[in-house]
Amino acid sequence: MKMTRRTFVASAAAGIAAPTICTTGAFAQEKVVRISAPQDFTRIYTFVTSEYSQGQRDYFTLINERGGVGGYKLVIDVSDHANDLPRAIEAYERGKREGAVAIDPLSTPVARALVPRALEDKINLITAYSGRSDAADGSVFPYVLPLSINYWSQAGLIVEQFKRIEKGSLQGKKLAFVHIDTPFGKEPLPILEVLAKREGFTLNAFPYTPPGNDQSAIWPQVRRARPDFTVFWGAAVGQTVALSEAIRNGLPMDRVSSSVWLSESDMDVVGRAAAKGVMKIEPCVGGREPKIIKDILAEVVGKGKGAGPEAKVGTGYYNYGVQMASLIAEGVRMAAQKAPNGPVTGPWLNAGLTAIKNFTAEGLLPPTTITPDDHQGGGMGRVAQWDGNKFVPITDWFTANQDVVWDEIRKYSAEFKKSGK
Amino acid sequence: MIDWILLAELGVNGIFIGMMYSLISLGLVLIYKTSGIVNLAQGAIAMTAGYVAWALATVSGLPVLVVAPIAMAVMFGFGLMIERIALRRMIGHPVLMTIMLTLGLEIFLRGLLPGVFGAAVKRLDLGIPQAPLFVGELLLNRATLTGGVIALVLLLASIWFFGSRQGVVMRAVADDQTASWSVGIRVERAIAIAWGMSAMAATAAGILWGATQGVDWSLSLLLIKGLAIAILGGLDSIRGVLFAGVIVGVAESLATGLLDPIVGGGTRDVIASVIILGTLLLKPHGLFGEAHIERV
Repeated sequence: MKMTRRTFVASAAAGIAAPTICTTGAFAQEKVVRISAPQDFTRIYTFVTSEYSQGQRDYFTLINERGGVGGYKLVIDVSDHANDLPRAIEAYERGKREGAVAIDPLSTPVARALVPRALEDKINLITAYSGRSDAADGSVFPYVLPLSINYWSQAGLIVEQFKRIEKGSLQGKKLAFVHIDTPFGKEPLPILEVLAKREGFTLNAFPYTPPGNDQSAIWPQVRRARPDFTVFWGAAVGQTVALSEAIRNGLPMDRVSSSVWLSESDMDVVGRAAAKGVMKIEPCVGGREPKIIKDILAEVVGKGKGAGPEAKVGTGYYNYGVQMASLIAEGVRMAAQKAPNGPVTGPWLNAGLTAIKNFTAEGLLPPTTITPDDHQGGGMGRVAQWDGNKFVPITDWFTANQDVVWDEIRKYSAEFKKSGK
Repeated sequence: MIDWILLAELGVNGIFIGMMYSLISLGLVLIYKTSGIVNLAQGAIAMTAGYVAWALATVSGLPVLVVAPIAMAVMFGFGLMIERIALRRMIGHPVLMTIMLTLGLEIFLRGLLPGVFGAAVKRLDLGIPQAPLFVGELLLNRATLTGGVIALVLLLASIWFFGSRQGVVMRAVADDQTASWSVGIRVERAIAIAWGMSAMAATAAGILWGATQGVDWSLSLLLIKGLAIAILGGLDSIRGVLFAGVIVGVAESLATGLLDPIVGGGTRDVIASVIILGTLLLKPHGLFGEAHIERV
């Protein structure tokens, strides 16, 4: 039999979905909250999806093994949309038919495409680390919930960290911004431009062609520009190549930073020792120290119910998945408090999610408060530095430049309200 | 003001990058010379080789340099297998269908390998130090320098090979398959060897590029650069591959440095497309390709 790529991808998706289908059957007679998680397991977001999804599924298993939350079991329907819009929309519609009250596509183009549908259907569209940054404005996007620091806030945090390194002033300094030449890569530019004016530093942007597998001609330009600080902004192979080229060009690693998209696996590719000093933004605690991760290891993985390899438990991206799952579970808890008997609908869960207050998931996340107006959760993160073996936090949780960030959020959300774009 | 040091640096690194691209083109030319087919799966075969080398090194615990010859041998067998199982069945069918078959193979491999080995980028460490190497103010990228030199050696070895006895046989097959048959040359065997050698060239490319960027699906994108070089140099000329590789590498590198700041980026990939279009429109047989005259 000849196997085409489509057949292979469909088989892979079926394989991923099969355990979920079995799980779904077991919950048929119980009160459930259904979350649809069509994500990209096979194309662009492959660098993060498997670990993120594993974290989500393990956390939901932990909650369900303990009897659920607020009297509800959590059901997650995982499938593969391969970053393909028709397939993602098909998965969204399937989820809607089956009663999903939240959808987490983990993809910027998919999230952007689903925004009008989610707003119309009142299904909570989770856009963690993806989608529109202006979706933080809950007054315009009531059913789009990033629940995490958006790219603008991340850029604001990075600039603030550079300012701290320079003892409070970036006046006259040079910042190089090396980014993938896509809407995602360009996303932080408006914030950086405003901050450059305000803080008095020079901003030089260096776009590279996606996916960024050859950046050899970009980084000599960066080096010759003699930046005081460098930010690289991409994903997957673009990130590892960018960091490798930064090292090969002799840039000081302790003056180089990226967004949340840098992981332990990336360090393995680049070389753990060579990358020592590079910084990233952490939206939640990494590693296995947080109590929730220890609980997952003991009560889920230890009992053979883990959704993936044990070695991945506690990686940065795994913990991002746990972070999102814990926020959704907390939203369910709050919703059940408000209306214990449901009915379980999008608005029911939305009321719970937007009532989350100072939630830390037992120390995994910064204090997170979601309100009907602020879907970002406060914009807190921290900076972590690679010590050759692991990312070590070098700051406490903090917010920075939120005035600039919210100016942009309101500017773009107002535009969406006016034009629908 | 023009930064001459930067331009020199981009030019020098472009030469080595072009050499590394040339390994993909070498595989394309080897197959085209013997069977008249453009193998659109060459990038995916390089990607496959990258995964094979990574898997061998991971499973055995041996350095990549040690497992590289084993990967070459495995991929030589893989090339023979493609020819025997898929290509030989296409004899008698229109060439276009055979080319479409290689396109199907490319899509299949690009889906299969990340599915089997996992989609995350894999580290392929050749042991090249990452520390910058300065010659005066000029920085030489050690990874591309090493890759370019190895690629040059392999290209020169290929030119030498085509002067050897087996090489002459393959050239004869390339010139006229029917005449080759009539004088007792085993044409199928020559074509199979060309596929095996092409897979070996792809292995060298997969390992060198894998060491530079990591191993993942994006290695298959090398096909476009390989095609641009092969078309510019002439699809049947290994010597052309050598020169065209340097031209494409330097052109891309300089365009990134000179044009990107003006137009806002993205010129690197446009260069390859412009070279393909320009060559086909202005000099269809490339710089060193032979114009075949057919009786109609």
